[in-house]
Amino acid sequence: MLATAAGLTVSSSGCLRRVRNIVRTDDIQQLSVTITTVPADADRQAIRIARHLEENLRAVGIDVSLDLRSDIEFRRAVLYDHEFEICVGHHPGGTDPDFLYEALYSRYIDESGWQNPFGFTDRNIDTHLVAQRTAEGDARRKAVTAMLEAIATEQPFVPLCVPEEHRVVRTDRFDGWDEGHPATRHGYLGLEPAAGVDTLRLAHLDGRLTENCNPIATDYRDRGTITDLLYDSLATKNGDGPIEPWLAESWAWNDRTVDITLRDGCEFHDGEPVTADDVEFTYRFLQDTSLGNHGTPSPAPLYRGQVDAVESVESRTDHRVELSVETSPAVGARALLVPILPAHHWRDRAVDVVGPGGPSVAQGTTEAVATNNIPPIGSGPFQFGGRTEGAQLVLERFDDHFTRRPGVDLPAPTVDECRIDIHPSGDTAAQVVANGDADATSLPLGAADIDGVETPAGVAMRDASPWTFYCLGFNTRDAPFSNYRFRRLLAQLVDKEWLVDEVFHGHARPIATPVTDDWVPESLEWHGTDPETPFLGSEGEVDVDAAKAAFETAGFRYDDYGRLRVRQ
Amino acid sequence: MLAEVLIQLVVVVGILLPVSIALFVGRERLVRTRSEWRTRLKTAAPTIAVLLVVLLINRFARQRAPRLSREIGFHLTASFYNIEGEFILLFQSIATPETTAYFSSIYVYGYVFLIVFPVLAYFTLPDTRMFRRLLTAYALNYVIGLVLYIFVIAYGPRNVMPADVAATMLFENNPQYQYLTREVNSNTNVFPSLHTSLSATVATFAAITRSTFPKWFPVAVALAASVAISTMFLGIHWGIDVVAGMLLAALCVVLSDRLVGRWAVSELLGERLERFEDRIPWLERSE
Repeated sequence: MLATAAGLTVSSSGCLRRVRNIVRTDDIQQLSVTITTVPADADRQAIRIARHLEENLRAVGIDVSLDLRSDIEFRRAVLYDHEFEICVGHHPGGTDPDFLYEALYSRYIDESGWQNPFGFTDRNIDTHLVAQRTAEGDARRKAVTAMLEAIATEQPFVPLCVPEEHRVVRTDRFDGWDEGHPATRHGYLGLEPAAGVDTLRLAHLDGRLTENCNPIATDYRDRGTITDLLYDSLATKNGDGPIEPWLAESWAWNDRTVDITLRDGCEFHDGEPVTADDVEFTYRFLQDTSLGNHGTPSPAPLYRGQVDAVESVESRTDHRVELSVETSPAVGARALLVPILPAHHWRDRAVDVVGPGGPSVAQGTTEAVATNNIPPIGSGPFQFGGRTEGAQLVLERFDDHFTRRPGVDLPAPTVDECRIDIHPSGDTAAQVVANGDADATSLPLGAADIDGVETPAGVAMRDASPWTFYCLGFNTRDAPFSNYRFRRLLAQLVDKEWLVDEVFHGHARPIATPVTDDWVPESLEWHGTDPETPFLGSEGEVDVDAAKAAFETAGFRYDDYGRLRVRQ
Repeated sequence: MLAEVLIQLVVVVGILLPVSIALFVGRERLVRTRSEWRTRLKTAAPTIAVLLVVLLINRFARQRAPRLSREIGFHLTASFYNIEGEFILLFQSIATPETTAYFSSIYVYGYVFLIVFPVLAYFTLPDTRMFRRLLTAYALNYVIGLVLYIFVIAYGPRNVMPADVAATMLFENNPQYQYLTREVNSNTNVFPSLHTSLSATVATFAAITRSTFPKWFPVAVALAASVAISTMFLGIHWGIDVVAGMLLAALCVVLSDRLVGRWAVSELLGERLERFEDRIPWLERSE
């Protein structure tokens, strides 16, 4: 108020205006942004995308600095602390477009985790996000299309491309690689070992796995593939296949309530039985890891969108659970994919964590989020065998797992031991498989490594359907990222087609919307250029005049030195 | 893979050492060392012990340090990159398969040889002072380097501009070396370049002892310069890290002169403490 009044007064006097400029020089200045990403060691493509953006932002008069964080610190900065302006990273995505509800729903603005790290709040988008969750059949498809188009207009984050997934596997040691998707538990179950083979040796890249086996520690998890071997979920999903019973023997939907029957006689790795109470506990716990100790709930930083669909959960008998969801059964069934935790281990983890060193999540940091959970006790097909920090994780077959029972037609662990060794880079991991010192790379090869992979006899490339994507994320809590015009302009400063050719060596698919192919609406299909935010330039190089004109049209101003000036 | 790399390293350095001892040290000194090695070792024992303790702490701390660093360190990648930009890409202009092979082997084999050889050479001198100074300087390099690593979190150029340095990058051409480097260091420890500081330390000592080892001096300087350049050529260090490494070397050489030989370590500490107390007025006031 005072400032406005002062502004009105001084505008009548040139002399006073000069005084005002001295007093308030810092008010409007060159826009300065920070791009947060991970170093090349962690993700070679992310840093190159960041530098492409950096170059183009500089060209249009924006001051840029790069902030490089390790994998763990990147997640803590972006997902937990929301201390970023623009982030470049790899989003886990999802095969069902409902993952966008978790990613963008406004009620999650103040939570930590994959739930709305962008701090995005938009009434219109909220309506679309909720509508697709309740609609069914054709109506849902329409609702999803409307949602995706609305999101593309707003650009709360900029989806860039979906990288291909290639892994190297040894076909002379195991058969059946093509049955299961290697980003899910199915990729490592049901394999047929050659005679005399009793160990599955995986070449992994990411040492975080050896430091922490907590299925809800977002700072340590990517897609939870290995933790899904340690923990069962009620249902399972093989890649982009349907949701099918797993720990649940069967279920029956009645409107929005599902009656679940658990398999008989399942046990956790410590010998305790898996009961309906553990299932009930898991859903309550993921919804509030403080179990009511905090005034407001402290939801887990992972699986938020999935467990949020659950309205009530009630164990009926030892083997029966009733789950009511707020959504359509198709969306609600996704809630059945979360890991079932043993109540007798996790109940005590509802306490608050104090002291430095660990993560700190906005909804209250409980032991559940901070614990490294070693040894992990689940009920999954493999149990924890041992680890060497930074070097190795050993899993042993859990002999009592239900998949090994006669009459159960599900992929079972076929080896005594699964040994996961950490290698320093993608090319070395591929090399050890080629040399015969490992049976498969567990993570997809980096785009730069794919073309150089050797596949001698007995070694093959295993291609899998991809759904993760690279994106620019904006912290829309702060200006100018809160302005959709600004976000759209930044989206237009990234040449996705060029990035795919140059940075991904063609091993990715540029996208305008972050969902799997069968959900992409016609309006957002990629035909050589972005249908929503086409690049302002060509061959990766920005057309400076056109871009500056676009900024001015959007209400931004340049000073005499060509610097973009923004009130920050 | 680690075993293979280590064996190669031991073999190469194992060949270089006897050859250079024959070339630079000479038979006479060796003969005398044979009769005096016990007394020399006894004189130098405390210094050797200090270095071993430092190396042990260093080994332990480099694994723990990243976590401590996460808590109290400063992120300086952006600052380094803002200050020097793409300076190190200058070295890409001399990139050929031959120079890449040269600098890669300098970085791994040349460096190890460069810091091991003077330890043996100086031990052959009847006066152990230079030997003790060298070991002290090494210990100081490690201690100060470790402290800086804790406070400075920075990624090297290869992590910021992977595509620009890809042609010469050590790990692109020799991915197996990553098994070795990850044993000794984490990728956020780039400031200062210990490769540079230890090499520069050796070169400075070579200059000091050039009347004793005249033929070693030019070789040491050439090798040390190659190591410093290799760290940038291979995309591992920023120019700033290399400059800091040289300053660290200078500091360690000077400190080694002040610390070694003139007093026993305990005496020095006692005297220092007194002087320190004198300088602090509030200590007197409180009495």
